[in-house]
Amino acid sequence: MADKHKPAPMVDEVSEFEILELAVRELAIEKGLFTAEDHQAWTEYMHTLGPLPAARLVAKAWLDPEYKKLCIEDGVKASLEVGIDWINQMPTKFGTPSDYCNLRVMADTPKLKHVVVCTLCSCYPRPILGQSPEWYRTPNYRRRLVRWPRQVLTEFGLQIPEDVEVRVVDSNQKTRYIVMPERPEGTEGWTEDQLTEIVTRDCLIGVAVPKPGKTANDPRPVRKALKPYSH
Amino acid sequence: MSTPTRQRVLQHLDHVGLLQPAIHKETHAPSPDEITNDQYRAYTRTVHDVGGERDVPITWEEKEEEIWEHNTFVTCEVLAWRGVWNAEERRRRQNVDVGQTVYLGLPYYGRWLLTAALILVDKQYVTLSELHEKIDEVRKRYE
Repeated sequence: MADKHKPAPMVDEVSEFEILELAVRELAIEKGLFTAEDHQAWTEYMHTLGPLPAARLVAKAWLDPEYKKLCIEDGVKASLEVGIDWINQMPTKFGTPSDYCNLRVMADTPKLKHVVVCTLCSCYPRPILGQSPEWYRTPNYRRRLVRWPRQVLTEFGLQIPEDVEVRVVDSNQKTRYIVMPERPEGTEGWTEDQLTEIVTRDCLIGVAVPKPGKTANDPRPVRKALKPYSH
Repeated sequence: MSTPTRQRVLQHLDHVGLLQPAIHKETHAPSPDEITNDQYRAYTRTVHDVGGERDVPITWEEKEEEIWEHNTFVTCEVLAWRGVWNAEERRRRQNVDVGQTVYLGLPYYGRWLLTAALILVDKQYVTLSELHEKIDEVRKRYE
């Protein structure tokens, strides 16, 4: 029977989201709102992003007090030295279409710890840090961090002593933040490359602090995608 | 924050916290005498303004991204690049206009996707019929 060679019906294999995504994208292209090449160009741009430039910015600042000053005064200008141009690098050539171009680098001190949130949505300095992690976007993180920051940081494995102030910075449409943590002990004489390795994404959001030998975020449960996109 | 202000904010957040179960109450569209000013303010806040609301600890997870989620993000950015919407209207549509049930009920990018579909219709780039026909056509490809 010919039917035997038909593929099995794909019950529940395609989600309404997949259907709608394809429909919207195809309609936008058919109506000339953007081209398939535009879409591809943005996808390729996203592939170039990640937390490494921000990690290098911090490492450079640890080694060079003048550069640290620049980072604090003008994060966008300081980004140029780690290869990130907030205006000309993206396919638009006019900056992000989400309309933000202000990076503030929040420098921790021995008595002050910063941590970043976006209570209103999930604003994140994508050009220098890549896509935000899912937990950063959850209503839960956004609800609780501003009110119970020490407790939330403890859940991330970070205990802040009582005599250290915790300052939560709330991102917004125009301004994005990264944290410049304190350079940890045990890194004396390290090169910029070595220092860059220990400044993880979580350190830059502020839910972790760098430690010698620790070059990855804390392991967490991974929620698998049904059809994962590989970055 | 001065103490009375802080108390007012905390009280407001308590009311907001009661909205979710209220959605499932049998009574809908109550008569005016059943709504206090505090409840009115809680209902008319923008739903994305969640800072300070009560919640219980959860397990922090790293989530893999679905292909449609990535494509949705890119579509929204490219629609902005090509001038179909600006950051302000994107934000208002994705974070406020969707309402509390959709805001908390759909995946993050599901909300973005719905908004991207609606902007094409609202700005008359496509008719609602064209959108439905396209959705049907795409669905048939998978049957």
